[in-house]
Amino acid sequence: MNQSKLQSRIQSRLQSTPAAGHVRLVLLGINHNTAPIEVRERLAIPSTRLADATRTLLHQPGIREGLILSTCNRVELLTLQEDAGEASSIQPQTKADLLRFLHEYFAVPPIDIQPHLYEFREREAVRHLFRVASSLDSMVVGEPQILGQVKESYTIAREVGAVSTHLESLLQRTFTVAKKIRSETQIGSSSVSIASVAVDLARKIFGSLQGKTVLLVGAGKMSELAARHLIEHGASSILVSNRTQSRAEKLAAVFASPTVHTEAIPFEALYEQTPRADIVITSTGAPQKIFGRSHGQHFLQRRRNRPMFFIDIAVPRDVDPRMNKVEGCFVYDIDDLQQAAAANLADRSREAAAAETIVSREVDKYHERLQSRDAVPAIKVLQQQAEAIRETELARSQSKLAGLTPQQREAVESLTRSLTAKLLHPQLTALRESTRSKNTE
Amino acid sequence: MSLLWLRVAVLLYGIAALAVLPAALYDRPRWRHIAIPATIAGVLFHFVSLAEMLNAAHHRLPVDTHETQSLLGLILALAFLMVYWRYKTVSLGVFLLPVCFLFGLVPAFHPGQESTAFPMVHIGWIFLHVALLLAAYAALVLSLLASLLYLIQERRLKQKSPTLPWLPALETTDQIAQRALLFGLPCMTAGLLIGSLIAQATVGASYFRDPKILLAFAMWLVYIAMIHIRRIAGLRGRRAVYLSSFVFFLVLAVWAANQLSAVHRFNAP
Repeated sequence: MNQSKLQSRIQSRLQSTPAAGHVRLVLLGINHNTAPIEVRERLAIPSTRLADATRTLLHQPGIREGLILSTCNRVELLTLQEDAGEASSIQPQTKADLLRFLHEYFAVPPIDIQPHLYEFREREAVRHLFRVASSLDSMVVGEPQILGQVKESYTIAREVGAVSTHLESLLQRTFTVAKKIRSETQIGSSSVSIASVAVDLARKIFGSLQGKTVLLVGAGKMSELAARHLIEHGASSILVSNRTQSRAEKLAAVFASPTVHTEAIPFEALYEQTPRADIVITSTGAPQKIFGRSHGQHFLQRRRNRPMFFIDIAVPRDVDPRMNKVEGCFVYDIDDLQQAAAANLADRSREAAAAETIVSREVDKYHERLQSRDAVPAIKVLQQQAEAIRETELARSQSKLAGLTPQQREAVESLTRSLTAKLLHPQLTALRESTRSKNTE
Repeated sequence: MSLLWLRVAVLLYGIAALAVLPAALYDRPRWRHIAIPATIAGVLFHFVSLAEMLNAAHHRLPVDTHETQSLLGLILALAFLMVYWRYKTVSLGVFLLPVCFLFGLVPAFHPGQESTAFPMVHIGWIFLHVALLLAAYAALVLSLLASLLYLIQERRLKQKSPTLPWLPALETTDQIAQRALLFGLPCMTAGLLIGSLIAQATVGASYFRDPKILLAFAMWLVYIAMIHIRRIAGLRGRRAVYLSSFVFFLVLAVWAANQLSAVHRFNAP
């Protein structure tokens, strides 16, 4: 094969490559920042219908690959579209196609959606996806559920055949970036809700909550939520005490399960039974304090100084704050918990800045890799061609090399391979560079 | 050759001491994966170094203070690994690993020349006596350290200041402190017993009238009393630290009493 034939073959390979100009990554969506709940709920797709919706999206004209992310805070369509012509003329059409899909699938007029829609393309779409999966775009920055939701969408899209080469590699990269941000920053390490702060504090005192006993004094919604969080983290026994015994029994029944022991305690037996509890959550409407400092001393004595954690979410307070001075008693009221939650939120914001830097770096890396990848087919042609020439030349000199020992033959093989690799190196580098600059233009 | 292994062990302790900082303070698992294997490797090399040293010593046992420190460093590194294995916390390594590194540094690069001749038959027992007592000291150091960490975390929880995320939970530090003491008791008892039997065989009954020996037995009684009080009264926090500190200083006094002793001074000129 002569030089001109080789050049034309490389040229044709380069032209046939599905480069960035031939497919276009488009992300269209609404989220908690752009749309009120009234709009979001009209577009929300339950997970049972996600496969069907993704299949419908894939059948839209020009869509090569697609994925739908639908959570309570966002609905996003990530699509890889065929780029039919000039960029300026295709952009409004793409958006119109996706809007039509939303309109047809959800029966929502485009005029109701359009003002809330955002659209990202190519690099910005990658950035947005990385930010979403890393929980930087979430209502509560750092919340861990979003990554699981993205993964679920990906699994469904893959099952229906809507994700293949391009989106596959993009999503795999997305998961890696999200994981990297979790491990390299503290973005999700601190709790930002009252109930989870209470759990965190309990774990700072007791370590594992396995087998711990929780006493609920009063039957408020927030104390119920905190108790649920404690059960999720291993608390195995729930005692409930209320002035109205029937309410205590009702609440105890709510927590009953094969792994959780529940018991309604008569209010008259409260002081007698309290030392059984490691964690006490109070939320009564009593005008006076229920637990004073002396109670704390008495409880600790009966528990042989094993610590107790009092979570007082009542206003006015149920636990005398001076009980906190008793060694082994830890008393937190609603203000303390709120302050801890606010401080954690501030910490998350600081960590989010570090996470944004990682996202920017990863977007650059991904883009660079994508651009270099377009040159791969042409590089393969060049390498195959060089290898063919090398083998032909070796075969031609076969008779002259016949007297060589196997070691000498191996040395000649390796020498010729090394020579062709070195001769090819500048061409391959130039090819990669030219593909990269072509894509950037 | 034993010196070379000791130097490698010290280097590994140094790496572990540095890696444990981001692992504990910033909860970076990658650094934990460096700190733990480095400590394990350090302990293994330290063991090899020790075995070679004992093998080479035959009837002469190195008794330089730094050699003893190096052995204490090895025991502390083992204690750190045991705590990690049981409680999955590397926090104590922030304090223990630099100590292991420093304790090994001097004997690794300026080995002592002092050694004492013992009858061949006693060498193993004497080494066991020293090692067991050092294990008891290490248990006490660990217990004191855990109690101090308990105190710091307790203060922060009481003051409602942000807790230090790298410190273990109060119950964990309390368990470490308690169990370290319980582990130290049989070590100290056996160490003293072996020492007494060797002394009885070599020096005779006069050995037990030595102030150092009397102080050592007093230390043993106080140690038992401390464990009893901690267990019965469920002593935690500030009072537990006071008690542990008292016993710790008593141990230091017993160690220093070597200088007063007429019979327990192997490195005397």
